[in-house]
Amino acid sequence: MSSAINPVILFFASIFTSNILLSNFLGTCSFISISKDWKSSFGLGMAVTFVLTITAAISWLVLTYVVIPLDIEYLSFIIFIIVVAAVVQILEMIIDRASPALYMSLGIFLPLITVNCAILGAILFMQIRQYNFIQTVFFATGSGIGWWLAILLLAAIRERIEKNPVPAGLKGAGITMITIGFMAMAFIGFSGMIAVQ
Amino acid sequence: MIDFLYGPLITAGLAAGLALVIVVLDAIVNNYGDVKIDINEGQRSYTVRGGANLLGTMAAEGVFVPSACGGRGSCGACKVRVLSDVGPHLPTELPYLSAEEVTQNVRLACQIKLKKDIAIELAEELFSVKKFQSTVSSIKTITHDIKEAVFRLDNPGEIEFMAGQYVQLVVPPYGTFKESVQRAYSMSSKPGDRQAVELLIRLVPGGIATTWVHQFLKEGDRVELVGPFGEFHVRDTTAAMVCVAGGSGMAPFKSMFYDILQNSSYPEKEIWYFFGARSGRDMFYLDELRQLETLLPRFHFVPALSEPSSDDKWTGETGLITDVLERFLKERIGTAKGLEGYLCGSPGMINACTTVMTRNGINLEKIYYDKFA
Amino acid sequence: MKYTQIERAVQERMRPGHITALGLLGDDQRPVADIMQADSEAFSRLGMDFDQVADLLEHLRSAGQDGLGEPITVDNRYLVSTGDARGVLPCPWNDGVHHKNAITVQDQRSGRTIIYSDLSIHLLRVHHFCQGKGSPFRLDPDTLAAIL
Repeated sequence: MSSAINPVILFFASIFTSNILLSNFLGTCSFISISKDWKSSFGLGMAVTFVLTITAAISWLVLTYVVIPLDIEYLSFIIFIIVVAAVVQILEMIIDRASPALYMSLGIFLPLITVNCAILGAILFMQIRQYNFIQTVFFATGSGIGWWLAILLLAAIRERIEKNPVPAGLKGAGITMITIGFMAMAFIGFSGMIAVQ
Repeated sequence: MIDFLYGPLITAGLAAGLALVIVVLDAIVNNYGDVKIDINEGQRSYTVRGGANLLGTMAAEGVFVPSACGGRGSCGACKVRVLSDVGPHLPTELPYLSAEEVTQNVRLACQIKLKKDIAIELAEELFSVKKFQSTVSSIKTITHDIKEAVFRLDNPGEIEFMAGQYVQLVVPPYGTFKESVQRAYSMSSKPGDRQAVELLIRLVPGGIATTWVHQFLKEGDRVELVGPFGEFHVRDTTAAMVCVAGGSGMAPFKSMFYDILQNSSYPEKEIWYFFGARSGRDMFYLDELRQLETLLPRFHFVPALSEPSSDDKWTGETGLITDVLERFLKERIGTAKGLEGYLCGSPGMINACTTVMTRNGINLEKIYYDKFA
Repeated sequence: MKYTQIERAVQERMRPGHITALGLLGDDQRPVADIMQADSEAFSRLGMDFDQVADLLEHLRSAGQDGLGEPITVDNRYLVSTGDARGVLPCPWNDGVHHKNAITVQDQRSGRTIIYSDLSIHLLRVHHFCQGKGSPFRLDPDTLAAIL
């Protein structure tokens, strides 16, 4: 029973209506810690989008041609984690050789992404919702861009908060959590427009 | 029966497969093959294996760019101008480069990974720089915080240098330090004594190299030196030399004066040497330099104490060396043949002396010192 | 407490062999944020202000530089010697480099000694960081209070 949703709609839906960060709260650890700084947020967002697209595509191939035929779906978690880790390693090497400029901007963020739950989360959604290959790529790219958008928004808001008086007890993580709550509520306004299944 | 092994085995196989892909890719992607290094547009060129950093690769070829940290990107000394494209400046380089250096594509040699052919510019004198294996033949305590160490050169057995130049002392890992560092010290030995190098090393609080010399180095130890470096040397003119130093700044001048004595060089040059210390326990080589005055009548030694203690029984000049210098420039030193300034010390000392010298008619272009920072 | 990427990088650069051979943390095992918190509290307890202390240290440095590398008595109370080395030290927060030097201030009244550098003054003034316990360049709040 494959999902029949149009890949293009899926792409936009995963950016706005079902933003992986603000509706599923995946990848929040790095979201909160890195969003202190706009430049790092930009780099990390780009790296997440990049890695998410590639690992999701490769995971789909592994899932369809190895895991399902061999009937070892109960091990898919571990397999996905291994795939993510290996792909990040390989990407790091290739980017270092092929494009030093891109390597510099992604640089330290690439290894960090191995443990970003948004990556594994998106891959698991892909498995549960039984997307086909095209849908997977569109969904993964969309989710990555959605994550990127969300962290940039938060970084921008936090830069403004820095300049305003915040009650002492709420400084830092406290006000950030409240901000994320507001952002999530704003994004909920989009939900229901498209049902992503 | 063994069905339960089936899944884990496939998972392990998958992991092994991916690991294999990584290893194979690593061998292909990180193999840069042979790379050509071109220095000063064809003056020299080396073909080396790529993949390592420029500083270390050149050192292996016998070209030594000065470096204090040994290639960890923490001293900013190994600057070279790169003429070919090696990509944008790295964040690890930028803190050490001025805006002008960035536009000229000056890079830190230790941060450049050799991936393809490269063309660089190097000062020619660096080609005569060698790495010497040496043995410590003596360490003497000169004052409470200055030691005089003599290194006998084993391989190569001789060094050629100008009086006033410096060498880098390679400090091996010791105690809790895990990495080797290099520090620069002026040679106090005469260029005529080619088989050995003498250094004066003053203990700096918390200093890694000076602590090593003062507390760990023993006679008979094997040590590496790299050199000679530096632009500080006696100018071949008839103008009088006005030299100012304090502490271990004595080193290059000791070398210069004894070299002049030995070779009777620059016979028309008058030499004035101002040496400042706080009290008697910081003063050294007094007898040697007074004896030099009798051997070399055109040499005038002016030691000064800024805060002599009562047991020093000091009869010489007192006050800050800059004040003594000013007094002598105004009253004692003849300007008939012109004057040249020679300084060795901290940037603060050099600034203060430069001010006094220019105020008393020594041209700024005629004031020489080894740029310290 | 989870570190941010920046805090982790800063802490890493403070270890021995990165910026200075001895590192800026000494044998202090606490996270940098905790060291800074504790020293800030000590500063307010002793009624000292980071900027004021940094100004004083700079005053002692400039007065000490008149000794041109030799020890010199300043304000009839401190014996100050300044030593300069080749090169620069970057701040672990990556906001600039500082000339490499060591200023030793011996207070003849209290008998206590502090050693600091241009980088130490910057760390104190801008980052309110006194360095870890056991670092030779630590500007301990209690010692500062006794000296200044």
